[in-house]
Amino acid sequence: MRNTIAIMQRELLSLFCSPIGYIVITGFLLVTGVIVLRAGVFGPGRPATLREVFFWTPFVLTFVIPAISMRTISDEYRNGTIEALMTAPVTDTQMVLGKYLASLAFYVIMIAATGIYMLLMEVFGNPDWGAAVAAYLGLLLLGAAFMAFGVFASSLTRNQIVAWILGTVPLLLFACLGFFMVDLAEGRVRTMLQQINVMGRFGQFARGQVESDAIIFFLGTAALFVFLSIKVVESRRWR
Amino acid sequence: MIEVRNLSKHYGSHRAVDDITFEIDEGEIVGFLGPNGAGKSTTIRVLTCFLPATAGTARVAGHDVFNDSLAVRAAVGYLPENVPLYPEMRVREYLRFRGKLRGLSPPARSAAISRVMQRCWLHEVINRPIGQLSKGYRQRVGLADALLHNPPVLILDEPTIGLDPTQIRETRSLIRELAHDHTVMLSSHILPEVEATCQRIIIINRGKLVAAGSPAELRERISERARLIAEVKAPAAEVTPAVRKLAGVTELHTSTVDGWTRLLIEARGDVREAVGSLAAARGWPLRELRRDAATLEDFFVKIVADASAARD
Repeated sequence: MRNTIAIMQRELLSLFCSPIGYIVITGFLLVTGVIVLRAGVFGPGRPATLREVFFWTPFVLTFVIPAISMRTISDEYRNGTIEALMTAPVTDTQMVLGKYLASLAFYVIMIAATGIYMLLMEVFGNPDWGAAVAAYLGLLLLGAAFMAFGVFASSLTRNQIVAWILGTVPLLLFACLGFFMVDLAEGRVRTMLQQINVMGRFGQFARGQVESDAIIFFLGTAALFVFLSIKVVESRRWR
Repeated sequence: MIEVRNLSKHYGSHRAVDDITFEIDEGEIVGFLGPNGAGKSTTIRVLTCFLPATAGTARVAGHDVFNDSLAVRAAVGYLPENVPLYPEMRVREYLRFRGKLRGLSPPARSAAISRVMQRCWLHEVINRPIGQLSKGYRQRVGLADALLHNPPVLILDEPTIGLDPTQIRETRSLIRELAHDHTVMLSSHILPEVEATCQRIIIINRGKLVAAGSPAELRERISERARLIAEVKAPAAEVTPAVRKLAGVTELHTSTVDGWTRLLIEARGDVREAVGSLAAARGWPLRELRRDAATLEDFFVKIVADASAARD
């Protein structure tokens, strides 16, 4: 636990020391800001809700989240610091968990910055706070799952750009395919696609619906990819 | 303190380390010597639990590197080759982070940091980002990190590579000082380096252990086949049979240098006295008689060459 926290702190410090951290936050806020403006949330007579913003957020996140996590493990291999780290009394699990939690903490800070839109709405209107809390819970869960996949992608390569592509492309395909294919498919395939439809699952939260199976879906996905990342790091010892 | 039994490490079909066995006792300072690519770093990476062995066992501080890896890592201070560090961190931040990983409490951590700061002359750079440091300072930060938790065993991979001559001298004297209360294993591909700091030398080449012993022992092995150089004023035809008859002489080459006969004698043991009395008895003027003391350098080069020849 102590080691996990130490690694998490170091990782966060390194995210805030590098330009990438700020570029990612700025880019994310810029894009969501544009979406907020385009949605005309603050127009007179419009409902005080970020629903439209939340609809697009998962797409934005497929690009943003792998950018946060791309350095985590790949950079350790590229710099060779993995050797200093793994010859200290640190287990592979502690290392991966520390890095994952740091990336997630960075993500939470980034998402928290969008709270300004909610505050503005509170000033100019009367937003549905219940639905907003549910949507943010959804963002947190979706982020936890996507981030685990991003860390997994980072564990596969020593090049951070490759790690970003390995993270973004499957997430994008996964998010879109599920979403657009659900209506096309029928029968069993449709049921299956509904199960893995990330956008649909997140949409429930955005509407204020907190479903336990969605929570389990996101947390399970997160656990699976954190576990796989640990195994990839361990596999260094099998070769 | 370090026990290596029949250790092998293969990368695919390449045998980086091939059936090595050696031992290092507590308080010893041992040099691990070999040309580039001999398998030094691979052996060290197995000992520091970074890589698993293909075959054989290794124990460090009484713990098996494979089954009890965390205990080994806690007992070892390791300076990896090329000293990997996080460039964005400040020196103090880095040492604090490493102290946390070593399980030092906050007061123990600050005490340890000021101790290693002093030992490794880091005062000037303690608040600088590591990315801005020169190679010499980076090396010192790596060494400070290895010493942070005051480990019983220190494993240093090429500790002086990339340093300037003053820094090399400082680092060597620091390592010798450390040997008082640590067991030290250091690797190098430069023999004088090891000769200057270590009590015992282990030489490996192409993954095989080729020689081990104290510098004196290794020197003795070669001095048995010492060369003698002598110059006498007498015809070579007369000198050659007489010298060949001396006990111990195995080989003789003569050449003429401005009227003198220069003898190159290879012999078992020391034949200087015999050559001297021979010259005196025959009345040959003698202007030079010396033993060509073989250096460890010659020995190292020879062993490495022999091993390579045997393989080819």
